[in-house]
Amino acid sequence: MSGSLKLVNLIETHAEPIARQWARDVRKNPRTPSYHGIPEDKLVPVGMKFYDNFKQMFFTDKPADTSQQYFARYAEEHHQRKIPLNEALYALIMMRRHIWLYAEFQAIFISAVEQKQAVDSLVRTILMFDYAIFFISQRYQELIRQSIEEKLGVVNVLRMESPLGAKQGPYKTAIMIALVIGAFGLTYYYHAMLGRNIIFTHLLYIPIVLAGIWWKKKGILVAACLGGYLLLSHLLFLKGMPFTDDIIRAAMFLVIGTVVAFLSEGITRAEELYKPAN
Amino acid sequence: MIASMKLIDLVDNHAERIAEQWAKNVVKNPMTPYYQKLKADRLVPQATRLYHHFRSLFMEPKRAEASDGYFSKYAEERYREGVPLHEAIYALILMRRQIWLYAEFQATFSTAVEKQQAIDSVTRTMLMFDYAMYFITKKYRELMKLEWFETPNT
Repeated sequence: MSGSLKLVNLIETHAEPIARQWARDVRKNPRTPSYHGIPEDKLVPVGMKFYDNFKQMFFTDKPADTSQQYFARYAEEHHQRKIPLNEALYALIMMRRHIWLYAEFQAIFISAVEQKQAVDSLVRTILMFDYAIFFISQRYQELIRQSIEEKLGVVNVLRMESPLGAKQGPYKTAIMIALVIGAFGLTYYYHAMLGRNIIFTHLLYIPIVLAGIWWKKKGILVAACLGGYLLLSHLLFLKGMPFTDDIIRAAMFLVIGTVVAFLSEGITRAEELYKPAN
Repeated sequence: MIASMKLIDLVDNHAERIAEQWAKNVVKNPMTPYYQKLKADRLVPQATRLYHHFRSLFMEPKRAEASDGYFSKYAEERYREGVPLHEAIYALILMRRQIWLYAEFQATFSTAVEKQQAIDSVTRTMLMFDYAMYFITKKYRELMKLEWFETPNT
């Protein structure tokens, strides 16, 4: 422990110059490009704060418990600055290296006894940084999941995905049946009762898009169904009117339904990539 | 480098034993719960492979490039197995610690001169594992396709 005390004293008394050397280094290291644009004056306090916490970790029996909160905050700050985890960890590794570089420079471990102390210090420092790497990467994973959940927020509302995993299937089916019946009724009303072929068909995209979002490729069936019904209704009730417009409309139903289905599948696949392992 | 040769020889000659000790350790470590459900016969080979590879990673003149290739592959395998990133990293940290914990390490560096060699070995090992951390997290990020969700800031 006495060897470690020497190192702690060095960090305590030289936190500012060590942090400044680290800041200069991290701003030009090819493995930390996200730090290159951050001014040195903003980085130095980050390093100093870290070295201060490092000192506290040395004087506790449970360094992991003591530092967990600090490292979680460290991860949050770096994540907020949009620094990728690999760079945040490498910057941390550089902080550790700078302690040793500075210690070497100051030649604090020269004699044979001090060499033994140096080994102790090295081992203890490595232990601290091992915890740091673990907690920071763990928190980053949580933050990444949170931010992706937030970005998918509106889409998830449309998808009627319950965060608690409750079954939404029956509601989706009921809503879809009501929408399709409505679409059939609307088509019948305009074609059979009014004998007109106007823009009401835009409303039919609502069930088509929702079916694609909810049931992906299976949802294309709803688009096919509505397109087929539109053509059949035209054949039955609008005999004298040109057929081309409704053929194009039915084709567009299929195109839109397919595009939405593939997009929805893509989102689901992307979600699976960041889901935590069970 | 001569100092580190001692460590390299130790790791290479006792790769299986160290890997077995690591496997016992990783399945009961509270920071690596994913590994608890894995059998030793699945775990031991992955650590043995790393320990046998230790020499070539150490001797390589372009150590960063060599580490990139090896540890990116390591990350890809762990990712496909569904190991969370922080656990994959911690399991690797435990692999490194296991080398030092291995009983013979103490005996290998006992005299005063050997203490200096120990420092040299520890520093060189750390450098290699530092690269490992960087390349594993980088590879996981690529595999998770996080760039889909991020605006580039560089």
